[in-house]
This record gives sequence, C-alpha cells and structure tokens, in this order.
Amino acid sequence: MNKILESTIVLLIVAAITLVGNRIGWGFGIAEALPGMAVLLGICILGILANTYVYKLPTVLYVITFGMVVTMPGVPGSETFAAWVSKVNFLALTTPILAYAGVGIGKDLPALKQTGWRIVVVSLFVMAGTYVGSAAIAHVVLKSLGEI
Amino acid sequence: MLDAIKNVKIHLIVLILVAASEAIGILKFKVGPGMLVLLPMLYAVFIGTFLGPKFLKVVKDKDMGHASALVSLTLMLLMARYGTLVGPKFFEILKAGPALVLQEFGNLGTLLIGIPIAMFLGLKREAVGAAHSIAREPNVALIGDIYGLDSAEGRGVMGVYICGTVFGTIFFGLAASFLSILNVFHPYALAMASGVGSASMMTATVGSLSAIYPEMADKIQAFGVASNTLSGLDGVYMSMLIALPLSNKLYNFLYRLKFGKPVEA
Repeated sequence: MNKILESTIVLLIVAAITLVGNRIGWGFGIAEALPGMAVLLGICILGILANTYVYKLPTVLYVITFGMVVTMPGVPGSETFAAWVSKVNFLALTTPILAYAGVGIGKDLPALKQTGWRIVVVSLFVMAGTYVGSAAIAHVVLKSLGEI
Repeated sequence: MLDAIKNVKIHLIVLILVAASEAIGILKFKVGPGMLVLLPMLYAVFIGTFLGPKFLKVVKDKDMGHASALVSLTLMLLMARYGTLVGPKFFEILKAGPALVLQEFGNLGTLLIGIPIAMFLGLKREAVGAAHSIAREPNVALIGDIYGLDSAEGRGVMGVYICGTVFGTIFFGLAASFLSILNVFHPYALAMASGVGSASMMTATVGSLSAIYPEMADKIQAFGVASNTLSGLDGVYMSMLIALPLSNKLYNFLYRLKFGKPVEA
C-alpha cells in the first residue's frame, strides 16, 4: 500500500510539472489540460495496482494497454478521453523525464565516461540496424503484395 | 523512495528546467539534405547534466541519487499517453496490412548487429540493455522494470536512449535521404521503417521523405505514423517476449565464445 501511495505522489508531482511545461511550450492552459492529465494519471495508477494485485507483468505493459483500451473506437467514452488527452502534448511529457534523468546523470558520469564512446558507436549501429532491417522487410513484403 | 519524494529541491530544479526548456521551444536547422531538430527534452537533459558537483555544484550526490530513483516512475505518464495514441487508430492499423506488422521484425536486426558489436567493444551486461532494441521510452521503462536503471543493463539502455535523443533525429533524417539516393528501397518501405517508437525520429524521416517525394507525401506520412503507433504498442511486447530473451541468449553464447567460460551467475 505504501509503495502505491508513494508512486501516486511522484506521479502527481510530475503531472503538475508537465502541466506547467505543456502551458509554456504548447499553449494548452492548465485547466484545459487537467481532465486529460487526470485520465493519464488514473491509467498509471490502475497499471500499478494491476501489477501489484492482479498479475506481475511489467507495469509499462498494463499502462500502454489501458491507455489503448480507453481510447479505442467503440469503447464507451473513448472519444471524450481521446479529446481530453490530446490537450496534453506528447513531447511535453518527455521534458520532465529527461530533466530528472539529466540531474541524475551526474552520478554516473565517471561510468558513462568509461563506456561513453563505445555506447555512441553501439547507438549508431543500433539505429542503422533497425532502420535498414525494417526497410528491407517492408520492401519485400510490399513487393510481394503487389503494392509497389 | 520516500526520501526522494521529500527532496523538494529536486522537484523545483526539474520544474525550472522544464519551464526554461519549453520556453526555448523546438529549434530547426537545415543540414545538407536533412534537418537537425532540437527538442526541449534535449535542453533539459543537457542543462541537468551540468548541475552536478563536477560542474555547477547545484546538486549533491544525494540529490542525484534521488533524481535517478524517480526516472522510471516519471516514464509511466508518457506510456499512458502512448496507449492513447494507438487506441483511436486501432482498427485502421489492423487493416493497414501485413507489411506494417512484419517490418517490425526488422527491429530484431538491432540486436543481431548491436550485441556482437557492443561486446567486441568490451561492454558486458551493458550490451544487453544497449542493443536489445533501439532503446526508446518503452524499452527504457521495460529495462527499468526488470533490471533497474541503476544496473549495468540500465546504464546501457540509458546510454543508447540519450544518444538516440541527441543524434537520432538527425541520423534518421539523413539516413532516409541517403537511402533514397541509393534507390534500393521503395519510399513506402523507408516510411514504414521510420516507425521505431520515437515520434521525433519518425517525424524526421517522414519529413525528409515527403520533401524528396512530394507526390507520395500523403501515403508516406500515413505509413510513418501508423508504423510508429504500432511500434508504440507492440514494441514493448516484442522487446519483452522476443528481443530481450534473444539478447540474453546471444550474450551468453558470445560470452562463452569470448572468455571460454559460461557467464557467472
């Protein structure tokens, strides 16, 4: 119970910070974005509850699935929920995450320095591998479907 | 965790970082055939890094520990938003065809190339975090859930995540331009492949491709968005069920090959 309460408090703090960023960067008023943020918060808390009490799958999986279900056409209220969350800009949610991560990085700077350049090289191969691999498969399948 | 929550200083610093970064907004620069796009999240991580004891001395070791402890939870709101990006388009995506689904398996190319290279460069468990996927938000959240972001795997995934955030947009924008010059893949295939789970990488790719093939721009954009939305959903299942187990197997195999003994528990 304690853990769930703590998580909820953290999410509330991040939500408040996001609402400020969402106002400054994307022009959505705080009151205007509040219902959407409340929906997102509710989804997160449900996800944490499901992970704790239902079955121990990664919380991320629950959270993404719940977010999808509540906005899926045909689900009662889905259009309202989709309209509300559209007032919370997608990129506005990324800025606080990276701010916390950035403040925390200092702790790992020595370790990052050590693996740093290698991680950069790996990143380039990772990005190229994903892109070329996916493009090749898409090309072959589209060709065999007669789409191109 | 409780100490981290009570650390008001951290939350205030983050609030200031967010407000300042969002006030600067998105900056775009033309670079050769591609476009360099700088997003507020980049300024936030960049300024944040310099607040530590080594540089500006605004935060202490204790504060940095608290901030990192909170990162995996802060990701959850974004994950919820991801779900709501997929939901409204769910049935369109179902119809969008096998090509869209099958190209997702191209993401496995990441680990087949990435893990050997990472280990060749001398990385250990970092390799699994770094190269099991392209390390976007759902993958960071997944690794955080399973290993914790303080672990070797966590450092790996965060490293690639940050590199992707810094270089990803320009890399994908330029890669799309260069691959289109080579004329090996159809523009639609290049558009579908842009959906790697990062909105900014997809936007960069689709942006470059639409500029190169204006007569196909509508379909290029539709494929890019659908593919990215799909990755946002199945990317996490794919990582958990296929890519991560496969990465661990490959890691154990290569470890034995390199050091002549099995991985110690």
